Amino acid sequence: MALINIATHEIHCKIVYYGIGYCGKTTNLQHVFKSINPNARGEMLSIATETERTLFFDFLPLDLGSIHGFRTRFHLYTVPGQILYERTRLAVLNGADGIVFVTDSQAEKFEENVQSISELEINMRRIGKDMSTFPCVIQWNKRDMPNALPVSVLERYLNRRRVPSYEAIASDGKGVFATLRAISKSVMAQL
Amino acid sequence: MLGAYTEGGASMEQLTNLVISDRELASISTLLMKLMNDTHATSAMLIDKSGQVVAVQGTGSRRNATTLGALLAGVFSSSREVAKLLDEKDFRNIFQQGVQENIYTSMVEEQWLLVIIFDRLTHIGLVKVLSKKASEELVRVLERVRNDSSRARSSVINLQFRSSVEDTIDLLFRD
Repeated sequence: MALINIATHEIHCKIVYYGIGYCGKTTNLQHVFKSINPNARGEMLSIATETERTLFFDFLPLDLGSIHGFRTRFHLYTVPGQILYERTRLAVLNGADGIVFVTDSQAEKFEENVQSISELEINMRRIGKDMSTFPCVIQWNKRDMPNALPVSVLERYLNRRRVPSYEAIASDGKGVFATLRAISKSVMAQL
Repeated sequence: MLGAYTEGGASMEQLTNLVISDRELASISTLLMKLMNDTHATSAMLIDKSGQVVAVQGTGSRRNATTLGALLAGVFSSSREVAKLLDEKDFRNIFQQGVQENIYTSMVEEQWLLVIIFDRLTHIGLVKVLSKKASEELVRVLERVRNDSSRARSSVINLQFRSSVEDTIDLLFRD
């Protein structure tokens, strides 16, 4: 839920990157962190296991600066992708203003992606959000993999709500900002 | 001790946004300052359950307030899930005990978290009692904020603002 603080002239919004393990959620945030103007971002916080898998969440605060006198901030979060962390994903989703669903385009990950998007829908209902109107974009990541499924197939089975979608190779930074632009505008349009 | 949102609250439709006016922020800041002074705490914060900082008092936590807000809200939200697994519905506080500093976090309805950071000179019992009292007053503030949110929002979010935000997003979020 966005927070508009008239007294301090600040607007805060929360964007959550959701998806299966190793789909590239943390990689998206890392690319934003290293590529964006350093004045526009805070420190990136990662709560990871010893093997660098996300345990709780990654957190990256972005500051758009003052717009019509209001300092506008986006807080980016990732959820842990591994199946066993379902309850943790729900905890991170709480209070979200927008979702980026990151998909691993590889054929062998297809079923896992289907389960993950279905879990997202259930979790959104649990926190009282209606996915049909909620700001959400999909990122088709790992487009450079030889076994990546055609986008048309992914669209047909994973994007039934026909939300905006973007191809990406997050490890090279491709499509990362296009995705971020889309979800940021979608969140602001809902304010 | 674990805090938890109730099942009923979790299934309610959440508000799209919450607008804090000058008047309400002043009330919140006064409450936090009073709580801090009465408990001799080092800092007091009010954070939204999404992790956004609504207000902060005290010097110790200001620097890290944004990160603290994200982490404490995450911990609290996570503890809600733990409580559900235990069939526990009304754990609404978390006490984190350190060597030098302690943190006591309590829920204000289903929306906000009141955080008190205090050292060894303050007794947890005092913090608990006075936090509860402050929470009751914050509930009234929250009620007013909820009632005023849509009116106050339209005073900020207009067409011109939306257009400028889009331009800024295009400028800042680019390869």
